[in-house]
Amino acid sequence: MAIKLGGEFEVPRRLEEVYDFLTDPQKFAPLLPDFQGIAVQDDRHFTVKVNVGISYIKGTAEVKMELAEANRPRRAQYKGQGSVAGGSVSLIAGFDLAGAGSGTKVSWQGEAQVFGRLASVAGGLLEPLGKKNIQKLIDALQAALAAQL
Amino acid sequence: MSGAAQNGKWVGANLPRKEDNRLLRGRGKFIDDIKLYGMLYLKFVRSPYAHARIASVDTSAAEVLPGVVCTLTGAEIATQTNPFIAIAPEPFAKIKDYPLGVDKVRYQGEPVAAVVATSPQIAEDAAELVRVDYQPLDVIVDAEEALNESLLLHEEAGTNQVWRGVFEYGEVEKAFEEAARIVRIDHLHFHRFSSTPLENNAIIGQWDAKDDHVYYWCNNSFPSFAIQFLAAHLGIRIDRIRVQTFDIGGSFGIKITSYPQMAACALASKKAGGRPVKWIETRSEHNISSAHGNERTFRDTRVALDKDGVITAITSRHIDDCGAYPRYEPLGCVIWAQVFPGVYRFKNARIDFSQAVTNKCPVGPNRGYSRMQHLWFLERIVDICAHELGLPADEMRLRNYIRPEEFPYTTPNGCVYDSGDYAKMLRAGKERIGWDDWKKKQAAARKEGRLMGIGIGTTLDSGTNNFGQCQIVNPQAPFSGNSQGANCKLDIHGEVVVAVGSCPQGQGHETTAAQVVADVLNIHPDVIAVRTGFDTERNVHTGASGTYASQFAVSGLSAVHGAAQKLKGELKRLAGFLLETTEENLTLGMGTQGPEIRRKDSGKSVNYWQLANVVNMNSAVLPSELYDVTLNCRYVWRAPFKVPDKEKKFGNLSLTYASQLHIAVLEIDRETYIPAILDYVAVDDSGKAINPSIVEGQVYGATAHGIGAALLESCVYDAVGNMLTATFSDYTPITAMNMPRVKYAHIETPSPHSYSGAKGMGEGGAAPVHTISAALQDALFSSGIIIEDSFNNADSLYRAIVAKETCQRDKLVRIEKRA
Repeated sequence: MAIKLGGEFEVPRRLEEVYDFLTDPQKFAPLLPDFQGIAVQDDRHFTVKVNVGISYIKGTAEVKMELAEANRPRRAQYKGQGSVAGGSVSLIAGFDLAGAGSGTKVSWQGEAQVFGRLASVAGGLLEPLGKKNIQKLIDALQAALAAQL
Repeated sequence: MSGAAQNGKWVGANLPRKEDNRLLRGRGKFIDDIKLYGMLYLKFVRSPYAHARIASVDTSAAEVLPGVVCTLTGAEIATQTNPFIAIAPEPFAKIKDYPLGVDKVRYQGEPVAAVVATSPQIAEDAAELVRVDYQPLDVIVDAEEALNESLLLHEEAGTNQVWRGVFEYGEVEKAFEEAARIVRIDHLHFHRFSSTPLENNAIIGQWDAKDDHVYYWCNNSFPSFAIQFLAAHLGIRIDRIRVQTFDIGGSFGIKITSYPQMAACALASKKAGGRPVKWIETRSEHNISSAHGNERTFRDTRVALDKDGVITAITSRHIDDCGAYPRYEPLGCVIWAQVFPGVYRFKNARIDFSQAVTNKCPVGPNRGYSRMQHLWFLERIVDICAHELGLPADEMRLRNYIRPEEFPYTTPNGCVYDSGDYAKMLRAGKERIGWDDWKKKQAAARKEGRLMGIGIGTTLDSGTNNFGQCQIVNPQAPFSGNSQGANCKLDIHGEVVVAVGSCPQGQGHETTAAQVVADVLNIHPDVIAVRTGFDTERNVHTGASGTYASQFAVSGLSAVHGAAQKLKGELKRLAGFLLETTEENLTLGMGTQGPEIRRKDSGKSVNYWQLANVVNMNSAVLPSELYDVTLNCRYVWRAPFKVPDKEKKFGNLSLTYASQLHIAVLEIDRETYIPAILDYVAVDDSGKAINPSIVEGQVYGATAHGIGAALLESCVYDAVGNMLTATFSDYTPITAMNMPRVKYAHIETPSPHSYSGAKGMGEGGAAPVHTISAALQDALFSSGIIIEDSFNNADSLYRAIVAKETCQRDKLVRIEKRA
């Protein structure tokens, strides 16, 4: 089951500042909805724990993340893979940055593939829930970037 | 048990089922009722991925959980066992199929490890602690795409094509050259669905080191087949495997392929020191990973017709999807040919048949196995051609049916249909449903803009298969014919005890076997004990024993009849000696002290206790000429088959052909697109009914299953191989709440191929699937709709009628007029 989303927003910050924020797991990961914790392995790899609750499937998802592309200050892409309650999720999240006046335009693309019981049992709920959570993440990202001004 | 003989005979009487006495009082014995000393519980760890490499399996966290006895992984099993034998020829004979995924998983739900614990709850908790590192691979869920070979499921085979063969008979090209019209149908699709027995798969396995035997208590429905796979896989002699079945809560064929789980239970028991290991499948497990029915796509169909609408030839390309492992396959690639022309007379045909593996649950012989797909295809052709030619559906069928005077009828591929009268069934169905009245109501409804349709489905339920057809798909397969064993004896105290090699799941074998023996011995069925359920150590079974393929009434009861006749012969010899008379002067029947044999002239008699006692406890009175009398008579019935011609794919593949004709009236709601059945009739011809009420009950069951399949039940997968209908919330089996009232009618054309005139029945040929497709098309043809899929719910009808994404006549059907 694939969920694909994308969009763009502008923040009143320089390209490099936005890029550095997005590629810093300690800043980026806590913005994930239902964030529980993070363990950083190296500058490109970290593991985040998030709470999952869809219908009667509840638990903690452990997602191994990799900063797969790091082209400062233009592009960053994360790839992740995790498991929860008999299911698995693979995700790709990419950010393309461009100057926009004194600020930065962030074009983002997200794709998640859900496998297993999660998709089988809660398939109908996943897409709206996924969209809602990604929107939450983007809103939090915008807010966090703005707050650092 | 009450009930009365009919015209002095029990065969043909509506005897209440003997087994219902215990089943209705909750006294049945099912696998989960069995508790053994020291028993452990197994839980499978299943893959969330439809296709992935297994990088590692870490069971360490599970193993330290208190109560966990051991774990099992695919890699471990691969070092201890042989891959399961394959029915498929090369190159698919090369594939490595084990009970647990070894280096790859190929469908969502495939077991990769097992946890064994002292309770089911601990096993379940521990299973969640097993860490499996997967490397996801691309997925193929479409059989046609699989045949492009862009991605291989089984690298060792080097192809995704399990089997391909062309079945060609008659003068196909000539028939097309001479045709008045040619109808082309680009695409038809028979969907994937399964069975939902009340009792899921259930196994207790024990590898007993004391005698090096493997013991199974299970509900597998074809144990003779299973033990052949298990012996080769486990590397032990087949006589060291004992399988016992008891009451079984439905199978419909799909419990035939539980042998991988049986192997896992035995290997887990071995590792656990010989303690018995129980596995009870959950409903979700059953839905995603037990077995599904074959999905089939029909491409490039051409139908030649003469000026009267008589079909003269068909060509088509069929692609069968067998899921991730061809376990019982590729038998489905030939079993459909038992009903090659369906109920129709055409003589010329070419079917190019392929089967492919995909990343979906492996298929199993689901009720109507392989034949229902083909029969649906033929019924679709008949209805599409009828609509295109402007012929009424009933008239189209009458012009094409095999005629009653043509029986026994030899089909183009050499099958011999024993008996039938399809036109008579159609008349009976039309009368029972009130055809003319419904036609008037339909005309009125159409004037109001309502979508009402009336459909006919005629189908076959071929029974007692010729295993020689296996040789058409694999010439090396050492199987042919069919056989069934039974034992009939007087026990030490004179009780009549019958044992059969079948494992009934609701078909009433206990009752019908008693009816047969009662007639042979002229006694009451109540005094006959029938031991149903398979038990290897009863030594009754043959290699074909089990319950499958609509055959017990012919193969099972013929074996019972043969065994009873042998016993009767021995009883008369013995009684002749004891009563000092000839066998001709003896009559069998019920006396004041139970079953007896009586002299016709003097009335002097000897009862069964005395007869049994002379053989078993008082044998010194016997003369040596009677030492061969054991009163313990085994009979093996063999079907009179020949090995088919493997090259020409020609020969008799099935012994009896029960038939069903259904008519449905339905209406599609204009706002919700929900199809509702307004009236329904099922007409059955199973030859001479051994027990008419059991036959009628099985007709209702098959009808319910078929209506569910047509409107409610579909195994839907997404593009990455997630099964989206894994629970009953989404895979909605039919229940009493949405089952329409079914009118029943029957005719009897006795089979000349069985001693009683009975035909095997029970599978039902999926008549409702054909019938509902026909009725939907009748409702929608004037809107430019051709029903191209066997599954039609409100969503799919919306996509056809409103969104116009599917079923569009102008894209699917072309007609060429030649005269």
